[in-house]
Amino acid sequence: MLVDTYSKRIFNMAYQFAGSYQEAEDLTQDIFLKLYNSLSKFDFKRNFSAWLLTIARNYLIDQYRRTKWEKQTRDNFNDHYLTSEAFENPEEGAVKEENKRTVWQGINNLTSEIRMAIILRDIQGKQYEEIAEIMSLPLGTVKSRINRGRLQLAKILKEKKERRNEM
Amino acid sequence: MKCKTIEELLSPYLEDELNTEEKGTVAKHLKTCENCSLLFSLMKETQESLSDIPELEVSENLLDRLYSIPRKKKRFKLRFPNFDFLVRPSLQPILTVATIMLIMISFYFYGPNKSSIDKSISRKIGYGYSKIERLYAKAESFTASLGEYKDNILVSLKNIKLPGGNED
Repeated sequence: MLVDTYSKRIFNMAYQFAGSYQEAEDLTQDIFLKLYNSLSKFDFKRNFSAWLLTIARNYLIDQYRRTKWEKQTRDNFNDHYLTSEAFENPEEGAVKEENKRTVWQGINNLTSEIRMAIILRDIQGKQYEEIAEIMSLPLGTVKSRINRGRLQLAKILKEKKERRNEM
Repeated sequence: MKCKTIEELLSPYLEDELNTEEKGTVAKHLKTCENCSLLFSLMKETQESLSDIPELEVSENLLDRLYSIPRKKKRFKLRFPNFDFLVRPSLQPILTVATIMLIMISFYFYGPNKSSIDKSISRKIGYGYSKIERLYAKAESFTASLGEYKDNILVSLKNIKLPGGNED
């Protein structure tokens, strides 16, 4: 069934994109509603999961443009993600956890298109070709957006580290 | 090579997608440029942090909501079998205009100033009518004067003496 197979993927995509758990649940419901309405238009020659992710991507970006989530704050990283990893070196572990929190919050500074590209590539680990299909963009554009997103996040991480060092 | 150009190559360098020559150029630049080298190591840390973000499980509450969507849809369809077209996006501007018109009409019928609106409308209509009448009268006088001009022109043409022609 569609819900069993795809709900986790769509919900995680929505949560990573919006940054709010409650919002992500509502968005997931809306995306499934949209999916049921569009099922009759599905072209069987296409890859279903890429098609579904395209619907999700379009809906998320539309909603983002309409409501501008970037003005809102994201949930704290540890609100829903648990730190289960045990590090041999506690200091290194603390730095990694801090990095994760900074990068998670930093996603809010990315534009909707760059944010989506980064989520698909770096969080979900998709191939560039698949991302280009989901985002209906040329491969080169996808690669350059991902590079821009990573640079932006790296610069945010740099600022955070500099501020920490000053303290 | 400038730092800006190197920045554009950092992701492909990180993912080992550059050709040997480009790879060599970036590696050489990173050895000499402290800023780009720092940025590159932070980019690696960023990517590691992002790939470490785990997948969350979907809550029971959301699953219930998702399972109930097809049922809700069916119920809606049974109740309103022929009105699906009303929710089409293309119809939205027409519905908006119709709503505004209805609001204006309701203001006219149920508003306290109905008689004054009536008066002003009839005044406007009367004004427009009189304007048309004046225009019509003007047009008539213009056609009459055109007739006079025509006669004058004909008389003048008859009286023209062409050079070299007979006197009679």
